Amino acid sequence: MDPDRDDAARLRRGDTAGLAGLMGRHQDRLFRYLLRLVGDEAVAEDTFQQTWLQVAERIARYDRSRPFAPWLFAVARNLALDHLRRRRPESLDERPEPEAPATPDADPFARAVARQQGARLAEAVAGLAPLDREVLSLRFEEDLALPELAERLAVPLPTAKARLYRALTRLRERLLARAPAEEWR
Amino acid sequence: MSAHVTELLALAAAGSLGREEARRVEEHVRECAACAAEAAEWRRLAEGLARMPSLRPSRVLVSRTVEAVEERLAERSERAWNRAALGFAVAFAWTMAVVSWLLLDLLTGELALRLDRPVGPTAAWYAAYVIAGWLTAGVAAALLGRRTPEEGRIA
Repeated sequence: MDPDRDDAARLRRGDTAGLAGLMGRHQDRLFRYLLRLVGDEAVAEDTFQQTWLQVAERIARYDRSRPFAPWLFAVARNLALDHLRRRRPESLDERPEPEAPATPDADPFARAVARQQGARLAEAVAGLAPLDREVLSLRFEEDLALPELAERLAVPLPTAKARLYRALTRLRERLLARAPAEEWR
Repeated sequence: MSAHVTELLALAAAGSLGREEARRVEEHVRECAACAAEAAEWRRLAEGLARMPSLRPSRVLVSRTVEAVEERLAERSERAWNRAALGFAVAFAWTMAVVSWLLLDLLTGELALRLDRPVGPTAAWYAAYVIAGWLTAGVAAALLGRRTPEEGRIA
């Protein structure tokens, strides 16, 4: 028996033990996804809380014959995209202006940390457009295969593939623009 | 040598090519050093993405969220109970109104007569009194029960 479905049934009856089970299994992945999508810790925290509130409110609408995670992430995605549209109504697909590179006289420790490959990569990802960050997070952090990715994004498979390709090439361009190729290789 | 597959290398590293495309890339990379080097770069990037550092939700955030949800569930349960209680109160009050009318008639000795003749002015006034009372109570309940969407919101 799927523990998510059991816990969803408990939550539907108003039993908060169901909530604890669902949160325990999904909170880390959900927060990471939201953080990548909205690109701001405070907003990710607010959206995280609103997501679980909506889950509790709308749990009766969850179809128990389907897995819980895609439904949870769809709730979170709608809330996050609503926020992003309010903040930047022009486009979710647009790249923000590149940040100024670190100055040479920045704190040496901070510079040393920033030179770590993972941190630099995360920084470059953070500079991408929300929809680019989202597709990369779903593919590489959530480890979704292309068909699942397309379903999660509610787009046809070729569109999901094109988005993934575009996000990867934009990320590479960004890394190359911010540092010589040999530094991130 | 087959044609370069540069356009496919990013998606190959992401494991997102179809079987035929993946085979094409594999065969070409075996015989093309330039594409093999670029494929290796894309693979490193893909591996880096899978290992990217990320924050986890803080304990404070998690406990605040649990509290907010518990509060919302308690509100939902209270609303359901209130609706049930209101329904019971309405049914009970109407029953009492009808029974009291019958009792009143019985006590004044007019019940038997009333069964054989049309409704008289006393009964009509009584019915009007009950309906007016209920309408007033209904309006008052609706006004008191009105909630703005913001009222139920948890910060």
